[in-house]
Amino acid sequence: MKIDSKLIFAILLTSVSIYLVFVLNPEGPQRILFNLLTFAGIYGLSAIGLNIHFGWTGLLNFGHASFMGIGAYVTILLIPHAAGREGEVTSTGLPFILALIIGIIAAALFGLLLGLPAIRLRGDYLAIVTIAAAEIFRLLARDFESITGGVYGIISFSDALQKYRLSFIDNALENFDFSPAQAWVGLLSWVFIILTLLLLKRLNSSPWGRALRAVREDEDAVRALGKNAVWLKLQSFMLGAGIAGLAGVLLAFNYGSLETNLFIPLLTFYIWAIMILGGVGSLTGPIFGSIIFWAIISETDRVAALIFENANGQQLAGVRFVLVGILIMILMIFRPSGLLGKKEELLLDVK
Amino acid sequence: MSNNLLEVNSLKKSFGGLQAVNIDNLILRKNELTSIIGPNGAGKTTFFDLISGFQSSDNGEVIFKEKDITKSQPYQIARMGMIRTFQLTKVFDRMTVLENLLFSASSVSNDSFSRGILKLPSQKKYEKELLEKSFKLMEDLNIKHMANSYARELSGGQKKLLELARSIINDPEVLLLDEPLAGVNPKLAEDILEIIQKLAINGISIIMVEHNIEAVMKISERIVVLAEGKTIADGNAKEIRNNPEVIEAYLGKDDE
Amino acid sequence: MLDQLGNGLLLGIIIAMASVALSLLYGVTRIVNFAHGEIIALGAICTLFFSNSPDSRYLYLDRFSPLGISFPASIALSLIACGLFGAFLELFLFKPLRKKEVGNIAVLVVTIGLSIFVRYAYLLFASEKVRSFPLDLERRQTYLFFDMTPRNFNVLIAGIVVMILVGLFLTYTKIGKAMRAVRDSGDLSSVSGINSDVIILVTWISSSMLAGLAGIFQGIINDVRWNMGFIILLLIFAGTVLGGIGTSFGAMVGGFIIGILVQVSVGLSFMEGHYEAKNAVALAIMIVILLFRPQGIFGTKERIS
Repeated sequence: MKIDSKLIFAILLTSVSIYLVFVLNPEGPQRILFNLLTFAGIYGLSAIGLNIHFGWTGLLNFGHASFMGIGAYVTILLIPHAAGREGEVTSTGLPFILALIIGIIAAALFGLLLGLPAIRLRGDYLAIVTIAAAEIFRLLARDFESITGGVYGIISFSDALQKYRLSFIDNALENFDFSPAQAWVGLLSWVFIILTLLLLKRLNSSPWGRALRAVREDEDAVRALGKNAVWLKLQSFMLGAGIAGLAGVLLAFNYGSLETNLFIPLLTFYIWAIMILGGVGSLTGPIFGSIIFWAIISETDRVAALIFENANGQQLAGVRFVLVGILIMILMIFRPSGLLGKKEELLLDVK
Repeated sequence: MSNNLLEVNSLKKSFGGLQAVNIDNLILRKNELTSIIGPNGAGKTTFFDLISGFQSSDNGEVIFKEKDITKSQPYQIARMGMIRTFQLTKVFDRMTVLENLLFSASSVSNDSFSRGILKLPSQKKYEKELLEKSFKLMEDLNIKHMANSYARELSGGQKKLLELARSIINDPEVLLLDEPLAGVNPKLAEDILEIIQKLAINGISIIMVEHNIEAVMKISERIVVLAEGKTIADGNAKEIRNNPEVIEAYLGKDDE
Repeated sequence: MLDQLGNGLLLGIIIAMASVALSLLYGVTRIVNFAHGEIIALGAICTLFFSNSPDSRYLYLDRFSPLGISFPASIALSLIACGLFGAFLELFLFKPLRKKEVGNIAVLVVTIGLSIFVRYAYLLFASEKVRSFPLDLERRQTYLFFDMTPRNFNVLIAGIVVMILVGLFLTYTKIGKAMRAVRDSGDLSSVSGINSDVIILVTWISSSMLAGLAGIFQGIINDVRWNMGFIILLLIFAGTVLGGIGTSFGAMVGGFIIGILVQVSVGLSFMEGHYEAKNAVALAIMIVILLFRPQGIFGTKERIS
């Protein structure tokens, strides 16, 4: 990681955001902070996956939520759970680790399935296809109620993971009003972020990473030199999808329940906002982007109070998303490279 | 084993009613330096695209080393030994000159995902070899001083040189050069021409599209003239220079 | 299946109008406007705000009561508002971006941000409640092969008339021809003496008004809600893709087919109990088209990949 002014600024801004959250919430700042960090970890991990799609390979993937969804559903359906309105119980299942690995592979395979036909499409068409595919996934998942529990969702699956929870978490959180179960998920997400970043750093400096960069620069030249550009793009698509799948599992465990409404287009847009904020193409960018983003979001009720006297849930959500929308626009117009991205590295033209 | 390198039969390609390429039969032989010339719009680049897999023909067949490659993908044809360059130089802008070469030199299996994760000692050794190969080539071509410059910082002529370097680093059998001298200053053009000649002497079969007639006449063993998608002449420099049809096709056209 | 035909035609005319509007905009500006749904919704929400009676209990943005203007006047005012909104977007957002030569991926992401911003602003303004225009209930009647209420039938006819007018506009007026010339040549340089900025501005205004009208029709046929544009956005993309990028006639036909398909598919046997998935059918078709015949039914083969 290069220590330069951009990185220092990013660290400063992140620290200031965390500090502000502390200061602006004199009652129980720790709870808000733990919550923030947990969400930041999960969403940051997903943004890292998206960054591989867009930052490394220049693919406009607007269906990212579906990769998270596939990972979550496949993993959770393979462990003990209860699904649907009646809460039909499936009491046996695979060990969590195995289910998780299968879930990640499933997400990667879905990436392959989607990518195979779509990757030859021009940028804006790929965007439309990925959104459409994600919507189809969501609609089908919602419809096959007997398996996925439809809108009633799936519950009672947390034990498979929580039984591995380290006891120091319970002890550390004794005096704080924050669920140890959630904290465990949050901790795991940051551990996975670190592991993923190490893996990606390694890949980036490898011949594979070099090949991918060449594909981003000029596909035709890559082909003329005997390399299969399409297969390289597909591999990166699968990698990013797999990472998103992992994030999706963590997201479901964070809530303790899984249902299709978790994986709507808005989730994809959140991840995009975080990725752009952190810096397209930067490995560590999503970390900073995610923390700052969630710090902003967690203070939206303050903004909402300016407009509404007693903002209800819908209105809070509304203000939150208005801010997200404005944030995305302002970033793309004035600072598309975000915090840590390199301006020259941005692929801002449809190929 | 025939001496035929590339054979094209009844090759047709049209765009919206306009026939870009219409070649009955053309045979290119091994170890020859063949130039393809013709006025603008004669179909030269389309012809290149058709034989290198970048465009599909409406009709006809392309046979390379006695295999039918009419429907093959560009990367497959390149792996068979035919490497091409492009009219509009395609260097990897945001990668260094060295990286451009390393990528080209690296084998497909070395580029694999699994090797990206594992770091076996054999890979390290291979990467070292790639570095040596790249540096040697850069030295030969006099571009070693630019090794760490980003490709986009190069001048037009230097980019052409880099593209050429990339194409030859793995000793291809056939080199398709699409206007290797276009937009290059005369001094550098001379150097590039010399390099091309040396490559031909070392046994690489070369097919070159060029507008620089002087250069073409100087180094080509064989010249094929295309006009309106058809071959109108085929012979050595002297024959072509005196061919009335060729003169007529070029009448009033400047070479660039 | 046939009893859904009426619904299909109604959904079809809305998607057709919205697809033509989107296709017009894309043709001239090459922008895939993800905020298109919000312009559609604007037409309906404005009409709702203008026409609902001040006695109604709902407040807008928690403080404003609706204006109680006559329904026809409300429609007219809303269309003007949509036109102004389109002009505003072009003059203050997209023109500066164009001058700055921002790449099209960036513009696409900007339209996504815009759509999120505007849509949730609607949520704050109109709340999540589903509302209707102040119109009396009617009974369905039978027309040839389908039945629908007389008002909806009028809407269908009006929509067809509007489409014909748009076609005439594009074919016979100077600016319409200029718009088509820019679209077909893919070149923004001044065509036939009309400044390209003017052509683009007119495109934005007319596209927005057409989209707004589609929203108003949607409000008449169904209801008005904050995300009404977004929920049909993908269907509109499907209609445009199916009919062919770069042809307004194609967009109209494609839009109609998608609308009819979506509603009619509800009647198919394999859809038993899976009504929610009717949209999925249309989306799947769109994906298939993009993969195997990306130029759609009527489009010309352009470099898709």
